[in-house]
Amino acid sequence: MSTSNISRRHFLRAAGLTGTALFVGLYFPSNGEEAKLATASAAETSDIELNAWVHIDTNGKVTIFSHRAEMGQGAFQSVPQIVAEELEVNLKDITIRFAQGDREKYGNQVTGGSSTIRGSYKNLLKLGASAREMLIMAAATKWQVSVADCYAESGHVIHRPSGKKFHYGELVEAASKLEAPKDIVLKKRSDYKLIGKPLSRQDSPLKTNGTAVFGLDKKLPGMLYAVVERNPRLRGKLVSFDASAALKVAGVKKVFKVQTGVFQTFRDGVAVVADSTWAAIQGRKALKIEWDDSGFEHMSTAEIYRRQNDLLKNQEGLSAKKQGDPDEILALAAQKLDVVYETPYQSHSAMEPLNCVAHYQEDKIEIWGPIQAPEWVQDYICGQFKLPKEKVVVNMTFLGGGFGRKAFMDYPHEACLISKEINAPVQVVWTREDDMTQGPYRAGISYRCQGALTNGQLSALKFKMAGQNIGHWMGAPKDQPNRSTTEGFLAPYYESIKNVSFSDIPFEIPIPNVWWRSVYASTNGFAYESLINEMAHLAKKDPLEFRRDYLKDERSRKLIDKMEELSGWKEKKNGEGFGLAITECFATTVGQVVKVSRKADGKIKIDKVWAVVDCGWYVNPDIIHAQVEGSVLMAYAAATIHQITFKDGLVEQKNFYNYLMPRISDMPKVEVHVMENDENAGGVGEPGLPPFTPALTEAIFDLTGKRIRKLPFDMDNV
Amino acid sequence: MINLNVNQKTYQIDADLNMPLLWAIRDIIGLTGTKYGCGVAQCGACVVHLNGEAVRSCVTKLSRAAGQKIVTIEGLSENNNHPAQLAWNEENVPQCGYCHSGQIMSAAVLLRENPNPSDADIDSAMAGNICRCGTYLRIRKAIHLAAELQRKEAAGK
Amino acid sequence: MTRQTKSKRYLHSVKAFAVIGVLLSVIGVMAFALDNGKEKTVESESSLPAFKKDSITSVKAFKQVYTVLISPRCMNCHPSGNIPLQGDDSHLHEMSPQRGTDGKGVYAMKCSNCHQPTNTPGLHTPPGNPNWHLPPADMKMVFQGRTPSQLAKQLIDPKQNGHKDMKKLIEHADDGLVLAGWNPGEGRTLPPMSHAEFKKAWITWLTTGAYAPKGK
Repeated sequence: MSTSNISRRHFLRAAGLTGTALFVGLYFPSNGEEAKLATASAAETSDIELNAWVHIDTNGKVTIFSHRAEMGQGAFQSVPQIVAEELEVNLKDITIRFAQGDREKYGNQVTGGSSTIRGSYKNLLKLGASAREMLIMAAATKWQVSVADCYAESGHVIHRPSGKKFHYGELVEAASKLEAPKDIVLKKRSDYKLIGKPLSRQDSPLKTNGTAVFGLDKKLPGMLYAVVERNPRLRGKLVSFDASAALKVAGVKKVFKVQTGVFQTFRDGVAVVADSTWAAIQGRKALKIEWDDSGFEHMSTAEIYRRQNDLLKNQEGLSAKKQGDPDEILALAAQKLDVVYETPYQSHSAMEPLNCVAHYQEDKIEIWGPIQAPEWVQDYICGQFKLPKEKVVVNMTFLGGGFGRKAFMDYPHEACLISKEINAPVQVVWTREDDMTQGPYRAGISYRCQGALTNGQLSALKFKMAGQNIGHWMGAPKDQPNRSTTEGFLAPYYESIKNVSFSDIPFEIPIPNVWWRSVYASTNGFAYESLINEMAHLAKKDPLEFRRDYLKDERSRKLIDKMEELSGWKEKKNGEGFGLAITECFATTVGQVVKVSRKADGKIKIDKVWAVVDCGWYVNPDIIHAQVEGSVLMAYAAATIHQITFKDGLVEQKNFYNYLMPRISDMPKVEVHVMENDENAGGVGEPGLPPFTPALTEAIFDLTGKRIRKLPFDMDNV
Repeated sequence: MINLNVNQKTYQIDADLNMPLLWAIRDIIGLTGTKYGCGVAQCGACVVHLNGEAVRSCVTKLSRAAGQKIVTIEGLSENNNHPAQLAWNEENVPQCGYCHSGQIMSAAVLLRENPNPSDADIDSAMAGNICRCGTYLRIRKAIHLAAELQRKEAAGK
Repeated sequence: MTRQTKSKRYLHSVKAFAVIGVLLSVIGVMAFALDNGKEKTVESESSLPAFKKDSITSVKAFKQVYTVLISPRCMNCHPSGNIPLQGDDSHLHEMSPQRGTDGKGVYAMKCSNCHQPTNTPGLHTPPGNPNWHLPPADMKMVFQGRTPSQLAKQLIDPKQNGHKDMKKLIEHADDGLVLAGWNPGEGRTLPPMSHAEFKKAWITWLTTGAYAPKGK
């Protein structure tokens, strides 16, 4: 199938839809130009393939193809909530389908960087409004009345003077023959009926009765199951294996070597294919394998931090950003700080372990799985199997959590290799132990942070980072600094603090790493905001007032006011510790206040967390609340219990018995406030995470006088 | 051959008696609402009811399950209308949703045995179910609501 | 969030107590009317081993018994609180299962929801027994934190031991759950002596007068 010459009839069949219908979609030119609106007839005449769309059939049933993954962050709800607003339909009348992966058809589909809404809301609004206008035009023509006298509401076009109405289904045939309107007037925010409302999620009912299909739930006729024993040192080679005992396990069909791509290297493993997941797991236990673990360094956690901290002492690194001359100011300043913060390696540990279904058939591959980046998977599989794009179909299922790990190609690649070898559809299941011990992980980064006060004023900040760079795994040049070194830091500081520098000291070890919820902001935020808090104390200022002195723009000012008001910052009582931090990532700023006190046994507990979110234009406040509540707990675990450690090149944590997960009684109270303004939309899934830890450690400092600079720390033994 | 009674239906299964119930339900019977999360009774994603108790199907062998009354999330209610399911939807509890089959099956046992659970009762009952998305505040709220719905329903009868 | 180190420290203090207890184990005051011969039937008497009071032998035997009872395999299910302990370091059981009235857990967290009739294969998997439970709420039979003296007295106090008489106490050495301590599942250490040795020491302690070591 080439990108041109698709007939409407062909598309109807491809999409599994029938009958006359109205299609409105977007066309993403491959030259990177802005997406263009188009209808099916326009697509037909101008040879473009139209896929991301609104589809309305003659019964008035509306279908929206969602181009982004649903991994808990609410795309399945908020994408249709946007389209339905302008289309003037009720959410309950919409059917949502996941789109397949294809960059040229859908633009960027990588569900990462909290980008679903901020990256597409303007297009989605236009999409909905165009369809609505075409339906109104069709009705006006039928009635022979002026378009201005007609309006749309709840899936109907109504003639205002007479009260006559058509439901959309009655208009689609005529509307589908119209050109998309050139100038679309979008609704005013004050007129929104759906956007901005805490509407119930459309995927909730599917997730309470077991019908939502996650990757692990995908079944195909004749599908077999596979598990893979992968080298526990991640980079080792397979020397030999003895499958004789494994093949005797009832249900085991085949055992063979598999080499899966991980970044620019390959990971050796032995695949065991069976007629059930359990049989495959039993078969794998019976394998005897000899690995060659030579030729790369076997790391230990202590060694990683020793080296990183040495680098921070001895090297300046690559300059990522610099204004003024922090070194000169620091040299002259009477009051200054020079401290090191350390953050741990983290596992993503989504509740749904990695898995993928693949069916390789002669010259084509179809994949189903919990996939955050469908078009990356498509690109990669095309490259590995030397197939054109139309021969590689990538289907997204619901994701049982992703957090960055599922925006990667290794597990689909492995499934494709195994399907090819056995010539049958297969589901590759990673056990929890596989998921936890194989990485890639969030890197644990060390920071050296320096600050100077001149006449009591913050005059210089100098930040150095030493830790692995995800970009290096993907071929980024090693003489360039990590571009994310400044992530999390608030831009308004650059206005008020004249001397600021960031640098990155390259550090490489053979432990693969990848983005983890909020990426570099998750570690940067702890270091940078902790330093700001420490500088406030050096200046003998209240940390909230101190921020007012340096964050003078209107949005920051309002955010700080709200944090102060909600948390009762000024009404602190004896025996209470208050801490705050503010970070920005993915175009959203979140400020958090954490309040701690001591339990009867003297141990510290969190009384409450207040989070103020400035994400600009937003769709569903309830989803924002949920994302921030979840981000707080994920940050809390990362700060106080979670650390992936290495010993002789092996990961020491295997499952939830030694990578403990917070449970219901560990959940702190969280109150979320979303700021109202007319700024562009920012991200929501990640920005709630970074400010929590520096706010917590500041609250503990406030209560105990003890400064925590190394994570994770034990809440029971501060 | 053993008989498995799942959601009031009897399945004849030819499998090793050591196979955990989880994999028989998912891979042989084909009911996928019950989830695999850890395989070692740590996370609760695989909770089903065995004679009314919230067993972890990932460590419950077929030898124990055979001939017993098993209910999975698919069989908890006729129409997604168990009080816990109604409350979960009302409170928009799920994010990724993967753990919630198990969460709801655990909550259902709590609600059966304690029609008016306190926060402490909820903590005791739900401590075996992990949610990585951090929906715990809403789980708590939903269980209180479910208890209320259940009491109303009982009063109406 | 807590990393449960508390119970580990507790264990150390228990060990210290044990040493002191043994040092002080000169003949203690025997104050336990265990035999209560008048009420015994001929039948039950015939099933009992010979009974001869001997405080030195008794205390010596209890010293052995005690090392078993406070080993993780026994103590973990005889906690001082209402949450069992776990692992060779006797940390508080992950996910905090509660004792419940009958000792079998509460709501969705009943022991047998995870603990199967037999051990689950693999490391860090739930050990099993058809009757897995803690002592019930009205008869907690706490081992954790008890000195040898306290534990000896507690074991034979009918008000604290579930009204077990000599015969029942002796029989208890062969209780299914007691035996499970010697079949703990992969990766768990065994009690410090064999079950046969334990049973012998247990019976010796009981039948020589069930003396408690001196001390607190």
